[in-house]
Amino acid sequence: MKTLTSVIAATAIAALTATGIVSAEPKSGGTLIMGTTQKARHLNPAVQSGIATAVPGTQIFATPLRFDENWKAQPYLAESWSTSEDGKSITLNLRKNATFHDGKPITSEDVAFSLETVKQNHPFKSMFAPVVSVDTPDAHTAVLNFDKAHPAAFLAMSGALLPIIPKHVYGDGQNAKTHPANSKPVGSGPFKFVEFKQGEHIILEKYENYFIEGRPYLDKIIIKNYKDSTSATLAMDKGEINFLPFMSATRDIARLKKNKDLAVTNKGYEAVGPLNWLALNTSNQYLKDKRVRQAIGYSIDRNFIVNALHGGLSKLATGPVAPGSPYYAADVNKFDLDLDKAKSLLDEAGFKAGADGKRFSLKVDYIPGPSEMQKNVAEYLKPQLKKVGINVELRAAPDFPTWAKRVGGHDFDMSMDIVFNWGDPVIGVHRTYTCGNIRKGVIWSNTQSYCNEKVDGLLTMAASEQDQAKRISLYQDVQKIIVDDAPQIFLNTLPYHTAYSNKIGNAPLTIWGSMAPMDNVYIK
Amino acid sequence: MSSIETQFIPKSQHPIVEAIKAFRQSWAGMLGLILLLLVILFSVAGPFIYAVDPFEIIWAPLTAPGVVANAPFGTDHLGRDVLAGLVYGGQATLFVGLTAGFLTITIGILVGAMAGYYGGGVDEILMRITEFFQVLPALLFAMVLVTLFTPSIYVVSAAIGIVSWPTTARLTRAEFLRIKNLEYVKAAQSIGARDNRIIWRVVLPNSLAPLIVSATLTIGVAILFEAGLSYLGLGDPNAFSWGMMIGAGREYILDAWWLVTLPGIMIFLTVLGFSLIGDGLNDAFNPRLRER
Repeated sequence: MKTLTSVIAATAIAALTATGIVSAEPKSGGTLIMGTTQKARHLNPAVQSGIATAVPGTQIFATPLRFDENWKAQPYLAESWSTSEDGKSITLNLRKNATFHDGKPITSEDVAFSLETVKQNHPFKSMFAPVVSVDTPDAHTAVLNFDKAHPAAFLAMSGALLPIIPKHVYGDGQNAKTHPANSKPVGSGPFKFVEFKQGEHIILEKYENYFIEGRPYLDKIIIKNYKDSTSATLAMDKGEINFLPFMSATRDIARLKKNKDLAVTNKGYEAVGPLNWLALNTSNQYLKDKRVRQAIGYSIDRNFIVNALHGGLSKLATGPVAPGSPYYAADVNKFDLDLDKAKSLLDEAGFKAGADGKRFSLKVDYIPGPSEMQKNVAEYLKPQLKKVGINVELRAAPDFPTWAKRVGGHDFDMSMDIVFNWGDPVIGVHRTYTCGNIRKGVIWSNTQSYCNEKVDGLLTMAASEQDQAKRISLYQDVQKIIVDDAPQIFLNTLPYHTAYSNKIGNAPLTIWGSMAPMDNVYIK
Repeated sequence: MSSIETQFIPKSQHPIVEAIKAFRQSWAGMLGLILLLLVILFSVAGPFIYAVDPFEIIWAPLTAPGVVANAPFGTDHLGRDVLAGLVYGGQATLFVGLTAGFLTITIGILVGAMAGYYGGGVDEILMRITEFFQVLPALLFAMVLVTLFTPSIYVVSAAIGIVSWPTTARLTRAEFLRIKNLEYVKAAQSIGARDNRIIWRVVLPNSLAPLIVSATLTIGVAILFEAGLSYLGLGDPNAFSWGMMIGAGREYILDAWWLVTLPGIMIFLTVLGFSLIGDGLNDAFNPRLRER
């Protein structure tokens, strides 16, 4: 018996080695228990941005497209699509067997309605701003018409950005932002809503009539809330949960990396593109001079931040687009540490050092909460900028709204900030640089008051450039200018990591990570 | 001292001199005084002897004590010298303790003296206000005050003072109620002394003993309070205090014990010093204890 087993095992291993396939066939059943520290306000991503709603929202609602790990659009609710010659319209051919969780068919009417709802209510206005109309020639064809070519629409139709919501539920005239169905949604995706206890848990269950045959594999997804990153990490370490995305505390990541039953990866955050930077208010009397801003760039040792402060788990950020995006530009001014150059730039700008070595003082704000990316880096700036004669004073904010009010209201000199790319540059990058988006009172707009007509022109061109190679090259050019103008000093990407049990197969590691449908995830 | 000489010394000395004598005999008080003097020496003279900028990054983050010569007490989460932090942190810590303690005592005595001496309606109103402050959860109230203004060591000191005075006020009031009906106060009133003079020159000096004891304890409590606020992230990020060091080090407690332990020991010694002095003063001012 024993011999027989080992012979079988040996043959099996040989077979596996020969084919190179070690993973088993996906099988149905099992529960994914996910930990989170984010409290969802509700579950409808059509009217609410942010991770907390996006993770459950993408399980409940399907989008027209999905993206693979190579930034390639793949069919999802739309089985095929085509773009008109001038790029001013995109035709989506929907699956004919797709139904909402209440059994009613998903039609082009719903697509048109969902897009209108997102356009009206979602904070990312640039996603569908060029949409002038959505035609519905038949129940399974939707045609998006733009006033100019709008290639960003593809990414905007994936992830959590264009959930297809039922018109017969949300179209009853109630305000979409406060609709009661937001907390008790009738979805279109692989998992249907079971229970939502705010701040405690979200329970989702396999939708039997899901439009992709044989999927999803999981019976259930439970999203459990933890009060902080440490307790979620401990739960993962002990095996209470089997999936933990969006980890950002480097000590917690390092701890889970030691656990042999877990896989820990930084894949799945390419589309989010989370950047940590030092924002410089260009209307400040010192910072309005580009040379002063560049001098600050040359004074900061980003390698120290990434390797010493973040244990090598974050990545260097060099520009407005995060590394990992096809639009990332590597060929920009890297601002390698050069204190002498910084000093001479400050001298040129006319801010000579006084007898005590000081030139001038600047305050730095930072987002309160976890300190690793924000406060610790701000603290590092103090002794570092002192070396070139800039006296830095930290200004603590007691809570997030206070910080947001200061930075949004342009009442700051320098501030640590975290801004996400959200897939296409049109969605998450343009907002920080266009002259038209200097909007006092709005956080994560152009709070640096940076305005460069050349940048505006290039961004406008890139937004409607249909040729992908040309579009990438336009974004390369514009990033070169922005980085050199230095309205921010780009520091690092957030060290987002996902930890998951070795028992989980096909972990969601496409560009949207866990903000994408987990219909092919299975338990081994 | 010979027995002949002692016969010429008057039997009754000035109460302060008596108290100092008694204090010197108090084991607790003297130990407290020595502790406190050491802490003050460390904090005031330290920066001159160990002149390292506590903000400067000198070595790899989270280096343990004793690993490298230039960071004998290790480095913090940014790679700054912990010993330099301790040396500089003492001044801010003592500053907050003393300022907040002074504020507590001043407001407490003012309110308590008015309420106790005048009684009646004044007492009613002042005591209701005192009670209002007393029933507010002190830490929460201090957090609100610090939140309303930008956290700085002045705001933190002021907030601690504002939430801590009711105890002193009640103590002062009780003393005033006891003393204001004694004969020497009546005598002062009968010769036409004004209230101001009676309160500050007659009643207050005679109620000082418990207030001084209370004041020393208040300073210790204020230092702990500052540590608590800093722990919750409401300290001044531009100043080094021991409380701030604990607050920043708490995230690393599993990997770097020294970040929390060393400033913790400093706070412990300081607060212990103030408490022991309070004990000693209590012994010294209490005639019944003194006779034993």
